[in-house]
Amino acid sequence: MNPKNYEEKNEHILVCLSSAPSNQKIIKTAAKMTEAFNAAFTAIYVETPDFSMSTESDKNRLRENMKFARKLGANIETVCGDDTAYQIAEFARLSGITKIVIGKSAVLKRHFIRKPTLIEQLIEHAPNVEIHIIPDSAKITAYKPKHNPLRDISFSVYDLIISVSFLIVATLIGYLFSKLGFTEANIITVYILAVLLISILTKHRIYSLISSIVSIILFNFFFTVPHFTLRAYSSGYPATFAIMFISAFISSTLAIKLKSQAKQSAQAAFRTKILFDTNQLLQKADSKEAIIDETANQLIKLLGRSIVIYPVENNVLTEPVIYNVDENKPLDMDLITSEKNIAKWVLEHNHHAGASTKNFSNAKEMYLSVRVNDNVYGVVGIDISGKPLDTFENSVMLSILGECGLTLENNKNAREKEEAAILAKNEQLRSNLLRSISHDLRTPLTSISGNADNLLSNGDAFSDKEKKQIYKDIYDDSMWLINLVENLLSITRIEDKQARLKFSSEVIDEIINEALNHIYKRNTNHHINFCSSDEIILVNVDVRLIVQVIINIVDNAIKYTPDGSEIIISTKRKDNMLYVSIADNGTGIPDEEKEKVFDMFYAGATKIADSRRSIGLGLALCKSIISAHGGEITLTDNKPHGTVFTFSLPIKEIDINE
Amino acid sequence: MNKTVVMVVEDDLPIMNLIVTTLKTHEYKYLTANNGQNAIMQVSSYNPDIILLDLGLPDIDGIEVIKQIRTWSNTPIIVISARSEDSDKIEALDCGADDYLTKPFSVEELLARLRVTQRRLSFMQSQISASDSVFVNGKLKVDYAAGCAYLDGEELHLTPTEFKLLCVMCQNIGKVLTHKFIADKVWGNSWENNIGSLRVFVTTLRKKLEALPESPQYIQTHIGVGYRMMKVE
Repeated sequence: MNPKNYEEKNEHILVCLSSAPSNQKIIKTAAKMTEAFNAAFTAIYVETPDFSMSTESDKNRLRENMKFARKLGANIETVCGDDTAYQIAEFARLSGITKIVIGKSAVLKRHFIRKPTLIEQLIEHAPNVEIHIIPDSAKITAYKPKHNPLRDISFSVYDLIISVSFLIVATLIGYLFSKLGFTEANIITVYILAVLLISILTKHRIYSLISSIVSIILFNFFFTVPHFTLRAYSSGYPATFAIMFISAFISSTLAIKLKSQAKQSAQAAFRTKILFDTNQLLQKADSKEAIIDETANQLIKLLGRSIVIYPVENNVLTEPVIYNVDENKPLDMDLITSEKNIAKWVLEHNHHAGASTKNFSNAKEMYLSVRVNDNVYGVVGIDISGKPLDTFENSVMLSILGECGLTLENNKNAREKEEAAILAKNEQLRSNLLRSISHDLRTPLTSISGNADNLLSNGDAFSDKEKKQIYKDIYDDSMWLINLVENLLSITRIEDKQARLKFSSEVIDEIINEALNHIYKRNTNHHINFCSSDEIILVNVDVRLIVQVIINIVDNAIKYTPDGSEIIISTKRKDNMLYVSIADNGTGIPDEEKEKVFDMFYAGATKIADSRRSIGLGLALCKSIISAHGGEITLTDNKPHGTVFTFSLPIKEIDINE
Repeated sequence: MNKTVVMVVEDDLPIMNLIVTTLKTHEYKYLTANNGQNAIMQVSSYNPDIILLDLGLPDIDGIEVIKQIRTWSNTPIIVISARSEDSDKIEALDCGADDYLTKPFSVEELLARLRVTQRRLSFMQSQISASDSVFVNGKLKVDYAAGCAYLDGEELHLTPTEFKLLCVMCQNIGKVLTHKFIADKVWGNSWENNIGSLRVFVTTLRKKLEALPESPQYIQTHIGVGYRMMKVE
């Protein structure tokens, strides 16, 4: 599906896939809703750890259902986790789902002690999402996925030893009690206590079940008359045994329940904590690299496995970043290179692959995409090395990746916004510049064209002296325009940043002399002196621009000081910087204006000495040129009066080659 | 009466008029061409003394025109460029142009460049008859064979690199030499460091050669481009 569609469509419908035969009907209903709301349509399947145990016909039906959903235009997603409701809710939150469509069969899952149904859990996890429940009108019997109930009994010596020893201890205590003449009721209580403890300490309820039976047998054998036989004389014993069994069994069941709830809440707390930490860290990270770094650190903390992250730029994998758990045992580079095509596959298909998954399952790493909807921001490779992730790790990891994807998307959006803002600001500056220039161009152009027009139409009428004045005016105005154009060219070069600056090593004296050559050509009565130092100092600069800086500052000094003022240019070396000072003995610049002189379009408020116009470009340009060279430009007062402009440039040291 | 024939290659009419008017008032003879092909044809048929060549021509690139003319003629070429980028000028100079003018240029500047080139031409003609091993320019005398240079009859104490540099400049008197060209001749390469060294040697050479190093008479700086040995009367 085209990612753009997500933006256009406000509604996003999620249908839950299952292997149930009635699932197709639910998918169909969801598809109809999609059409009615003009919504985006996604179908999700939560792959629980039981999946591998399910029967072949169930798997086939699931495939059929997936195919059916795809045919109706759904985007198929598979997530892994044991907590179905949580996975669905998490997916809904991250993908911006507005409506969840779910079948009734999923509602009917009830157990011995009533657990909250999937729907109830969903409502709890995703309170903002509408949930649509589709009833089964067709007479399909409530469907329950079938699997072998004994699937995870694993024989454990440890549990067996615990069970046996508790029963032995209980028997010993019972023997003691009977010696002390306590009633049988006390002994029964001791056995129930033992079964309770066994159920707490062992991993599977089969141990407590067997223990309750064994405890009855033991009680019968040791403590009922006749002793040391399995027979009981008293007619009340069968009832005692039955009650004893039932109470042992119930208490053990409750204990197990309690244990699993404690475990769940501990896991939930851990999950909450790690996700909260991740969220906090990701909020603080302000660049793409930092976000990826933090995500990798959190994943390492959670999983204790080495991680490879391929950031995705413009839908292409970039160089992988590797995070090793143990610096001494880094990930094999060859392995990473050889498995890069799996990461590529993940990027293209937006589906996990690699070790412990269906695709490329012989790989050493598992690859997952970091994404929001269809936009993949990176591919994460997790070192599996034969030990698959447990379901809890898996679900927390998916949440972290989801969080990472969201943060990356936000970061990207923020960056784009920032770039747009800078662009807008540049645009603003440019339009200001254009407006101010076109305005200021008019005056000299009017003077030039008017004067030329006068000469063309009635040139003979002017006296020689008048003509000379007109020629001079034309010449001066065009020179002013030339100077402006030079400045504009410099601005365009500076605006393109470093790209177009052409650095070369130049002797500072030559640069200053070149600038003065340009100034001497103009008629002024100012005394301009250059005190060169004996040392030959080279600077690495774009010489045209630095010449422009000197011309602008000296021009400025000429413009704002009375006729006959003195302007002194001097150079001074300090450490590895060269300081060029241009001092005049004019009236000086008031303190409140000092800060503003380097602003663009700022032209001093004081009366300009030769009434020449100024558009306030020169010094602003000087400042950008000098900072582009890594120097600084400052403005200080001259003694007893006047102004000193000083700019610094880095000195270029060279080995003189004889 | 000025007998020098100047060929003007320029496609912009007002600029052409400006140049032609200037040439006329200073009694130069002139030829005009408004595109590259025409220019090459006229140069081959009329053999002008100096060529003023605009780099931005409508048909072929000015650089190409220089390259073609240089295959058979050594006629001095002064390049006129509207582009303020130094790289264009440097490329033109490295291809065999002798000097350059950047638009906007003043009439005075144009005339000055023409005079410099004329002086160089007459100097070259006089050099043919004189002995090749001694170079004289104003008060400066360079004896290539003896490896000595004299200013006003007094021997200059130059380092070997300075002397080499002086020789390169004297042998190309009147021509604007790019930094790269000079560095190639002096050091055999134009590595960044040598180009930097070149600035230093020119400064030290100037101090020994010029009466007023801040307004040099012999070695002219073309900032960002290179240096030129001026013909001094």
